Amino acid sequence: MNLKGRGRVGRLILLVILILAVSLVGFGCVKGLAPIGWSGGIVSDGSLFVGSKEGRLVAVNLADESRLWAEPLKPVSSTGFFGCSPAMGGGCGGASRVAIYGTPVIYEDLVYIAGYNGKIYAYNATSLGLRWVYPRESNLKPFVGGIAVFGDKLYIGGEDGKVYAFDAATGDLVWEFQTDDKIWGTPTLYNDTLYIGSFDKKLYALDAADGSLKWYFTAEGSVIATPLVYNDVLYIGSFDRHMYALNAFDGSLKWKFMGENWFWAEPVVVNDVIYAPCLDGKVYLLKAGNGAKVDEYDMDGSVSSRPVVVDGSVIITTRKGVVYSIATDTREIRQMADFEEDVDGPLTEYGGIVYIHTADLSLQRINAATGAILRPVSLESQ
Amino acid sequence: MNPWELIIQQPVINVLIVMSHYLGDSFGMAIIALTIIVNILMLKLTFSQIRSSKAMQDLQPKIAELQKKFGKDKQKLSQEQMKLYKESGVKPAGCAVTMIIQMPVWIALYQAIMLSLAVAPEGLLNLSKYLYPWPIVYSVLPLNREFLLLDLAQPNFILAILVGVTMWLQQKMSMTISTDPRQAQQSQMMLWMMPMMFALLALSFPSGLALYWVANSIVRVVLQYRVTGWGGLRRKPAEPTGDADKKYLKFDASEEKKSTDEVGADIVISDSEPSRKDIYHPSKPTKTRYQPGKDRSKGRRKK
Repeated sequence: MNLKGRGRVGRLILLVILILAVSLVGFGCVKGLAPIGWSGGIVSDGSLFVGSKEGRLVAVNLADESRLWAEPLKPVSSTGFFGCSPAMGGGCGGASRVAIYGTPVIYEDLVYIAGYNGKIYAYNATSLGLRWVYPRESNLKPFVGGIAVFGDKLYIGGEDGKVYAFDAATGDLVWEFQTDDKIWGTPTLYNDTLYIGSFDKKLYALDAADGSLKWYFTAEGSVIATPLVYNDVLYIGSFDRHMYALNAFDGSLKWKFMGENWFWAEPVVVNDVIYAPCLDGKVYLLKAGNGAKVDEYDMDGSVSSRPVVVDGSVIITTRKGVVYSIATDTREIRQMADFEEDVDGPLTEYGGIVYIHTADLSLQRINAATGAILRPVSLESQ
Repeated sequence: MNPWELIIQQPVINVLIVMSHYLGDSFGMAIIALTIIVNILMLKLTFSQIRSSKAMQDLQPKIAELQKKFGKDKQKLSQEQMKLYKESGVKPAGCAVTMIIQMPVWIALYQAIMLSLAVAPEGLLNLSKYLYPWPIVYSVLPLNREFLLLDLAQPNFILAILVGVTMWLQQKMSMTISTDPRQAQQSQMMLWMMPMMFALLALSFPSGLALYWVANSIVRVVLQYRVTGWGGLRRKPAEPTGDADKKYLKFDASEEKKSTDEVGADIVISDSEPSRKDIYHPSKPTKTRYQPGKDRSKGRRKK
């Protein structure tokens, strides 16, 4: 081949490589296609239980930092090609992991988690051996919301729009209630009533004993946040950018406050002030009684994780992994850490230490009083 | 947000969501409508690309002649080819350049669809940062992913087949018939490989994306038809090399009838062994075509 011919072939190859490179970057860089999970943690008997991004329950002994892993959750069999699973949203390479979004809960000697594979698992809290799974054979629609425990029952809402109640000891289904759309929120229980939001823009109040409907409230947008009940008032964020305050007994509206984006995370309350994180990058401080804005803080990044209250401070983390502390008395805000890792799940507090589950499969730790950053605990299985 | 997200992704996502609201809360309809609108906006570029490729196709017989003439002298052949392109006003890289210009738009549309579909919970959380503060946007979300009994977030077999079929149609119509057997083989391979690959991909991705591919291919088929007609879908005339050995030749009247009728030329069916020059050669129409008063060969006889 002469020089000119070689040059032309070279240019052609270069052009093909350029097109392929642009396509790969362009078509491959859509974030959030695959479910990863954002489980928070719960502490019991000196151990912190968390659903890892590897799709398994992990128990961290807080005294010696030793860890125990449960068997990985079994994914729904893939029907896609190239190792891609429809359940993965077309994302590839992660089909073998099951995302865990809900924070584990504990009842007596059992730890419970719900997986994106549409199953609920009960493990022995000491050995992490599997006690029961529901359903045994098939899979329900994915679970994004967490489980709530009340009495001897477990409550959870699924993507099939159903609210389920199970016997905590045996995993037997006690009752179910059908809503008109998907459920991603975690239920809250208060005075024998179960409160849960749905994509159908309604917040339901159900009788915890038999699942009968007590009342529902219709918002202008979907309700996926976890409700907070304080002094017989229920506080819940919606996709219509409002934070609603409802009478917990009849669902009547007391007040509503509008942010600039979704109220995704559950708020916390301290001294009659609601701390409501919003995806618009702000945390709004609202009077619990009338919804009047007391203050607002610009966090320089949206907040999707539930804050924690520790010794007169509200600890809040942005999705980018920047941790702030707001003093509830002086209302002074200070930055505590920047982990430079995504944080979407709720924070956990135990013994003055705040635990943050970051995207790099780690459990970051901060001393809330001193602000000292402790060595992170890896959740990666060996 | 980076400039790409701010200038391209964010507007496209919000337009998709608003369109979904006005099209009966149907995200499927919004995908189809936006694909058509984007195609209309890029009409000039698309037509330029199709015309460019058509011009290349039209030049194939001349290129074949050059290859015959200068086949051994590669340098001369290359020079002559470039000269031919220059004289005809054809830019061989024109198609590729137009494709590269269009690519960011298609990538943006793909990304907007995938982000708006918010298949995984993380997707919906990510979507929040792209939303304009329009009340309408917040009232529609999360989008209704059902369309014609399909869940646009799940793969669908029928839609995957449609992706393959429509893509094949589009490719076939726009395919350049090459006189170089190697090139022709490559084209044939591409004709089947690309649709098959996309059909398989459609089985692994949310069907919302497959719907976008199908809508896009159909629009491209319509545009291609406007410029080139059925193009590569038309039945190919008989290959001269194969027919040369046959004893009887059947004249394909559909190809040449018009020209022969115009000049009143004869159609000869011969039972004798045909010589190569008597066979109608589709790749060399200008040389073999009958010209009144010029090329009435001695071998021909009146009907």
